[in-house]
Amino acid sequence: MTRLAAFGLVLGIGYVVRHAVPAGAEAQGLAFALGLALIAATLAGEMSEKVRLPRVTGYLLFGLACGPYLANIISRTMARELQVLNGLAVALIALVAGLEIDLSTLRSRLKSLLNYSGVLLGVMYVGLVPLLWAIWPWLPVAPDVHGVPRLAMVAVSAALITSFSPTVTMAVIAESRAAGRFSELMVALVVLADLALIVAFTLAMQFVRWSLGGSEGEEVGIIVRLAWDVVGSLAFGALLGAVFALYLRFVGREVTLVLLALCVILSEAGRHFHFESVLAALSAGLVVQNIAQPQGEALREAVERGALPVLIVFFATAGASLQLDALAAIGLVALLLSAARAGAIWLGTHVATRSSGIDAEHGRLVWMGLIPQAGVTLGLAVIVANEFPEWGRPLETLIVSLIGFHQLVGPVLFRQALVRAGEVGGADRQHAEAQPAPAG
Amino acid sequence: MRPIPPEATEVGGSDPLDANLAPTLPPRLPWFAPLVRARVALGLAPLTAPAVIFVPVGYLLGPALLNVLSPAILSHLGPLVAVSLAALGVFVGLALDLRARDERPLLVAASVEAIATVGVVALATGFLFAQWRLELDLAAPFVAIALGVCASASSATAPAGDAPTHQRAAMRIADLDDVLPILLGGILLAAMQADDWGLALKLTGLTIVVGLGIALAGWLLFERAHEAGERGVFVLGALMLLGGTAAYLELSPLFIGLVAGLYWSYSPGGADQVIRTEVRRFQHPLVVLLLLATGASLSFSTLTAWLLVPYIAFRLAGKLLGGWLATKVAPGLTPTDLGAWLVPPGLLGLAFALNFAQLTSPATGAAVLSAVALGTLISEVAGAIVLPSPEGR
Repeated sequence: MTRLAAFGLVLGIGYVVRHAVPAGAEAQGLAFALGLALIAATLAGEMSEKVRLPRVTGYLLFGLACGPYLANIISRTMARELQVLNGLAVALIALVAGLEIDLSTLRSRLKSLLNYSGVLLGVMYVGLVPLLWAIWPWLPVAPDVHGVPRLAMVAVSAALITSFSPTVTMAVIAESRAAGRFSELMVALVVLADLALIVAFTLAMQFVRWSLGGSEGEEVGIIVRLAWDVVGSLAFGALLGAVFALYLRFVGREVTLVLLALCVILSEAGRHFHFESVLAALSAGLVVQNIAQPQGEALREAVERGALPVLIVFFATAGASLQLDALAAIGLVALLLSAARAGAIWLGTHVATRSSGIDAEHGRLVWMGLIPQAGVTLGLAVIVANEFPEWGRPLETLIVSLIGFHQLVGPVLFRQALVRAGEVGGADRQHAEAQPAPAG
Repeated sequence: MRPIPPEATEVGGSDPLDANLAPTLPPRLPWFAPLVRARVALGLAPLTAPAVIFVPVGYLLGPALLNVLSPAILSHLGPLVAVSLAALGVFVGLALDLRARDERPLLVAASVEAIATVGVVALATGFLFAQWRLELDLAAPFVAIALGVCASASSATAPAGDAPTHQRAAMRIADLDDVLPILLGGILLAAMQADDWGLALKLTGLTIVVGLGIALAGWLLFERAHEAGERGVFVLGALMLLGGTAAYLELSPLFIGLVAGLYWSYSPGGADQVIRTEVRRFQHPLVVLLLLATGASLSFSTLTAWLLVPYIAFRLAGKLLGGWLATKVAPGLTPTDLGAWLVPPGLLGLAFALNFAQLTSPATGAAVLSAVALGTLISEVAGAIVLPSPEGR
């Protein structure tokens, strides 16, 4: 009851303050929106947990309800300003995921994981490409295009629709304090799938350029770009991870601040040098955890202190940035595509579980963790829209509405999968077991 | 230069900003102590006078020289600066616990001293503006009062365990003289946003109501958090909301922070203790950020030169007069005692000047900030010379 009163009070203050400034005259709303999100979204997450939904759903719903399309306490300008923190959030989430992965246990499963991802993506592509081809005239993208250009556009669209969200997957795991074989499987799967997606998307974009009469003979450029994207990101992250590990070992002070600074560097340098910040941050976390594991509790405490506010703001921002108008305009088409995608994921995981030797119990749950879509998908859709505005913009709108839907449903399903796998709170249990028993 | 007492602090004696962070000095290397304090000031422990170091560093990094802190980055740092200012206001509010009987006369004395300083500086500079016929792009009374408010803050020091009573009282007066200027500054900034005094009072009232509302929400949540991480989120959120609301409404973050700090200080339970413990984790980075932003925002012009000398001279005169008047209210003090402790201006003057510069016209705001910053640096050095040495106590 006390918390409910505080929740109402903060929202009331937010409403009064927000509407005390005339529309169009607002400035410097970032700290206000951050403060509001930190307190009210935390409380919304807790309420959502009481009705057996993941906390991230509460954060998202808070953002949605207070965002520009509904209560408008967080204005469109504020939502855009809040997105400045997304880069930091994505890097931190991936770093935390890297810190949770034990490569020694994962190495023995690498072959079956590669097999699993390959079969899964193959089945999804085989299912989605013909479907998209068949319904293309009814999709609000470029219905009049035929022949090879249509096939190329379908290939790009299929890559976007197939894509997953390593960020949301890792964030739900981090927020649920989940740990165990299923969590590790999911992180490895979405990361491998993300790598494969970058390759598939780049090839599909080249196919589009060729089919629409664009540049030719850039195969070497593609390979170099792919190598830079993947290998460069991993190497850059590993280097920063090693530096961070040295800092933890020899200095070890103000770890929360240094951790956040590291994430800013991973995100900003990644953007500057065209690295994949998710891969770079994951690699940094892997190096710290598996090569230069720190002693003591400083890092764990820093992660707990730093990750929680960043996660809350990240999801509240995602909720406030959901474009409800796009969802309303082509919601039915998006809903049907979403159902088709979910079917393809389910079929793909079913076939992949049989062929790869992954634990059948976990294999049955994997599809629930692959529904979320977020930043990576949106980033790729923006690339298409910028290069091919004529059909890329409508495709981007469709993808945005799909993301909106998957943002709301995905975390709920994945959290449910983690509950069924018995891994929610596993990180805390592992930590408690690792602590020495009290003397006497 | 006389050695600066190791317990010397920036914002206020035993107030929460520094009280729990005594610097660790190497026992056999006393000459090393100042360096240690400078190093640990980067967020690790308190510094005697961080403004002396970080304002010049900020200027070096700012647009005038290296441009590392470019105007675009400074604009991004704006919200964080507002949060830092709100945090300072909270600290002042938390330190203002007047439940002990002997504290009340000291607050009255501190307020008398502050009013005298504001009055002397504002009236004298206002008179000079009229004589010099300076062309300001802001109403001259606003600039004069802003300079007075900036001048009235003093940097107190924590009394040593064996410090005599009159010295403790002097330090406490220097500590408490921030309160009234923050209130005055809050009204001034509200008046600058409003077309008439009615609206100014309404905005001041809004600042108080919103500050109390956020403080009440924090009070409901801080002690009921399920875990340390969640408590940290609530405290951070409350500070962000305080600073963010002030920035959004273009009001004084120091004032809204003061209101919230006062509420937490007087409310039952341990909200004040929670705030002290949590904010200690990031207070020094915030202070450093504030000083760097101040340094980077400096811009020297002819107007700065016109403001600087009167600011320093009238501030000193105001402090001496204020100190003398305060001794009439708080018996047992001598003007000499008090005057020395009131000279170092501390962080709050800079904080208010930065806030003023952010919310007003760029030319006059920058000139006021630059004059106050230079005056602060000069007064800090002067204060270090005139402060009673440990041997002299």
